Amino acid sequence: MNKNIYTPDLAVIKKVRDEAEGIKTFTLELKDPEIKESFNYRAGQFVELTIFGVGEVPVSITSSPVNKGYLELSIAAVGKVTQALHLKKERELVGLRGPYGNGFPLNEVKGKNILFVGGGIGLAPLRSLINQMFAQRGDFAKISILYGARNPDLLCFMNDLERWSKVENSEVLLSVDVPDSKWKGNVGVVGTLLPKIDIDVKNTMAFVCGPPIMIHFIILDLLKIEFGGNQIITTMERRMECGLGKCGHCNIGGKYVCLDGPVFSYKQLRELGENI
Amino acid sequence: MKILNKTNLAPLLERLRPEFEVVTPLYEGHDILFGDLESSKLATNFIGKPRLSPKEYLFPQRERLFTFKENGSVEIEAHFNEAKRVIWGVRPCDLYGLKFLDLVYLTDYIDPYYQARRANTLLLGLNCNEAEESCFCSSLGTGPFAKEAFDLLFTDLGDVFLVEIGSKAGEKLIEKGTNLFTSATSKDREKAKLLEGKAKKTFKTSVDLEKVKAKIAAASDNPIWAEEADKCILCGGCNWVCPTCHCFNVEDIKAGRETQRIRYWDSCQLAGFTQMATYNSRAAQAERLRQRIYHKFSYNPDRYNGQIGCTGCGRCIDVCPAGIDITYILQRVANE
Repeated sequence: MNKNIYTPDLAVIKKVRDEAEGIKTFTLELKDPEIKESFNYRAGQFVELTIFGVGEVPVSITSSPVNKGYLELSIAAVGKVTQALHLKKERELVGLRGPYGNGFPLNEVKGKNILFVGGGIGLAPLRSLINQMFAQRGDFAKISILYGARNPDLLCFMNDLERWSKVENSEVLLSVDVPDSKWKGNVGVVGTLLPKIDIDVKNTMAFVCGPPIMIHFIILDLLKIEFGGNQIITTMERRMECGLGKCGHCNIGGKYVCLDGPVFSYKQLRELGENI
Repeated sequence: MKILNKTNLAPLLERLRPEFEVVTPLYEGHDILFGDLESSKLATNFIGKPRLSPKEYLFPQRERLFTFKENGSVEIEAHFNEAKRVIWGVRPCDLYGLKFLDLVYLTDYIDPYYQARRANTLLLGLNCNEAEESCFCSSLGTGPFAKEAFDLLFTDLGDVFLVEIGSKAGEKLIEKGTNLFTSATSKDREKAKLLEGKAKKTFKTSVDLEKVKAKIAAASDNPIWAEEADKCILCGGCNWVCPTCHCFNVEDIKAGRETQRIRYWDSCQLAGFTQMATYNSRAAQAERLRQRIYHKFSYNPDRYNGQIGCTGCGRCIDVCPAGIDITYILQRVANE
């Protein structure tokens, strides 16, 4: 018999790291060596994560496909399942299904300038792609990373950001909406960083992820400086149960975010005719 | 084709019982509902459709998917229902409904729970000689006489049923009741043809499907969504009675060290359908109503080779306490 599409595979929590206030990064390893070996994914894909006894949620993968043998998921404790996950410790078991979804374009954007705009935990799926691009850094022209959060305690992946900022022809700019006494950087929503960098719009692809309201305004900002709809790539979040196009929850227009997304260009999203 | 005397229907179905669960339309108070065959309640010559479709037998309102047992590790047990079942009296609209669910659950990724039930279920159709007020299957090409998706198909010719064979499994059922059947003549077939023509003239409601399909993509700003959604009292009834609605929720219920993972029907008309931890992506009722109609008449045909997610049974019209009528909505889409 074929494998039951809804059966989670067991995974062991190898490491738990405090990422930011209310956000932890979990390193997971699939228990079955064969499944672990065959688990391949693209940046931008997601998994269905089970906390046994609590429930299942879709979560984007934040580790990069170049990291073999383990997965990282960065998760804010916002709902029932994610709050239960935050109580989990190393060596405990969770369930995983996937990977699901389409993932980000990679080969298609080779040779281009890449602009990342992330907000809060929204940097998690972008980080997967950013690390993959930095692993083959020569394939891309300038890489700019604009990242913001509500306050300094909510900034994630500070080590990565530091590392990326030191690579040639790459830049990282940070911003917070509300600074604390130690903050010396930019203050304001992440979009206020856009005028601070040089963008050769014609040769640039933008990757945007964050809360819906942030995505909305960044897209407006990018359109204003004449980005085309197919030069803006974003990844969408929707209520989802199955991840396989059966449960019917994640439609945006005629597309299922689980099968046809979660990565869409702004041009695609606009044609789908629903609010994003 | 075969002929079965009406008085032999119950004996035929009884004969199948040792091997199969036999489900038929039954008189239940003022309603007709599917249930385990009771000869005294068996409904054979009713007009229109049972209150609910037989979807429940293939895709239950609530079913257990897994038991997780935590014992240091986690033991995962899946639960399948492989009971052999015959459903008699499935109207052509409902045959189409199940054909549509087959598309959803058995293409691309196969849903093993649906598949286990489907593989063990025989569908014995029953053509409609007369439409009810809410019926509009003739507009959608799904009825009043079925053309496919049955194992056997019964047509009421008065004292007898004309029985058409639609599959090998259906043929085997005939063999089990072989002495109850006689051969059909060309006269019987002609009579059925006449009845089909007469049945088509009994419809009081119609929809121009081609026009709907052509116009729906451009209808997202039609005022109809807000107008009709304004009447909605959020009961979800339209979804609960729909033979093609396939959306479900999954929930884990823990008792001690054991967790049951269950799934149950969900309704796109309820706000919770798109509620995430901190954000609801479909905030207005008008968008939810549009989702129901678009899913059936635009998104599904795009995904499933032109097949619509509506059978024309009209149950959503019958059940709606606010009088929201899908045929009125479709007419507005077609004509504006």
